[in-house]
Amino acid sequence: MTGLRSSQAALYLVILAAWELLPRAGVIPRLFVPPLSEALGTLVADRREYLGSLPTTFGEILVSYVIVCGGGILLGQLIGASAAARRMLLPVLRSAYAVPLVVLYPVMMVWFGLGSESKIAFASIYAFIPTMLTAVAGVAALSPALAETARAFGATRAQQILYVSLPASLPSMVAALRLGGALVIVGVIVAQMLGAADGLGYLITRHRTLLNSPGVYAGIVLVLGITGMHEILLRRLEQKVAAYRPS
Amino acid sequence: MTRPLVAIRGVSQRFGVEGVSVAALEGIDLDIPDGQFVSVVGPSGCGKSTLLSLIAGLRAPSSGAVFCDGEPITAPMPRKVGVIFQEANLLPWLSAIDNVAFPLKLRRVPRPERLQAAARMLELTGLAGFESRLPHQLSGGMKQRVAIARGLVQNPAVLLMDEPFASLDEQTRMVLGDELLRIWSETRKTVLFVTHSLNEAVYLADRVVVLSARPGRVVDDVDVDLPRPRSFAMTSSERFGILKDRIWQHIKHAERR
Repeated sequence: MTGLRSSQAALYLVILAAWELLPRAGVIPRLFVPPLSEALGTLVADRREYLGSLPTTFGEILVSYVIVCGGGILLGQLIGASAAARRMLLPVLRSAYAVPLVVLYPVMMVWFGLGSESKIAFASIYAFIPTMLTAVAGVAALSPALAETARAFGATRAQQILYVSLPASLPSMVAALRLGGALVIVGVIVAQMLGAADGLGYLITRHRTLLNSPGVYAGIVLVLGITGMHEILLRRLEQKVAAYRPS
Repeated sequence: MTRPLVAIRGVSQRFGVEGVSVAALEGIDLDIPDGQFVSVVGPSGCGKSTLLSLIAGLRAPSSGAVFCDGEPITAPMPRKVGVIFQEANLLPWLSAIDNVAFPLKLRRVPRPERLQAAARMLELTGLAGFESRLPHQLSGGMKQRVAIARGLVQNPAVLLMDEPFASLDEQTRMVLGDELLRIWSETRKTVLFVTHSLNEAVYLADRVVVLSARPGRVVDDVDVDLPRPRSFAMTSSERFGILKDRIWQHIKHAERR
């Protein structure tokens, strides 16, 4: 365990060191990838600008998060609980999942404008189906044996859901939350990059058009920080609900 | 003659499998007196488990009726009938004691009361000291003990056991078999015990009901006239062999078809 941990830490260190040293050694042109320290330096120097982009970005992520995870998990639970609904809807949903939704973004900008609404709409639609599919898969994989046992001991339908089905699907809900959150972050940043007047994605695109690579990478570091934080939080949550997984 | 505790009257069960109606049980008539330990054996797929699920009230027979204590069974009657399945089917997020207390929780028994009852049952099944363990921290045999404790916690008159030891190793099942006999002699429940193992069937029971291949009918009803308490030495006695052979003759023919 500790051996695994330390080799993983070593891997991260190697990547960070390569990011710093390869551009410095001239192996990678600095215009493509500036050294890590330069990106961090820009992030600190221009912190006003970068931190200023966060309220918009977080706001859009948060609203999409609620829509995707709330709606997607709820709907996923409902569809997953019914075999008939699964048979009818799953093939449709899987095909819809294959559509590259990013082509819809220009249309959404026309519908919702350049502001937050179009980002929220895009990120929500982009993340909704995979999140819901994860929730459906989790519920569908639940063994009926536990609910049947509860029934044999006199559980009503409501008690079966409350005491058995809901707790048993907690791990799959957290898995859906983790995927949905990650996709929402991607969706918001991409939408901001494609057309916005504010936000972290917009900053990255603006610095790119100015050929300001350290500025671009300062933004990227911030994005990495956000996804990393989300990942750590959700992993903690996953460990908390691990006991709910059937042994 | 007291009236039977469990009475099965002309029970047939049919299932629709992909549009085809399949007979699982046909014309079953059984009377089980209070306190009797009955094993049910039969070839694979003969409807043994279906029979138990009818008595458990988990499904209704296509025709005929099942009675417990004179009352027709139409839905689960957890206070009269306790069920133990092949898998322990414990709720993985609940400790051993909370799993045992679960049937009482469904009936909204106050927590201190139900924990007290559950603790007594864990003691009876030899699990004192393991109350706060989660299922994944217990061995297969211990999980099944928890399941037995849960089946007993409402003090039902009837205990239904559907191949409860089938997924355990030989040694564990022998130990649990003796434990079950001890519990039975202390509580005097009426037990219906479905099993694939003829040894187990004869060793544990007062009576072995033999079902035919599908559709399951009662083809023999064997009185096990071995003295109690049973001992491991009896399994190599002549009488044990004769009883087992008699049952095996029925099953052999069916399995060969």
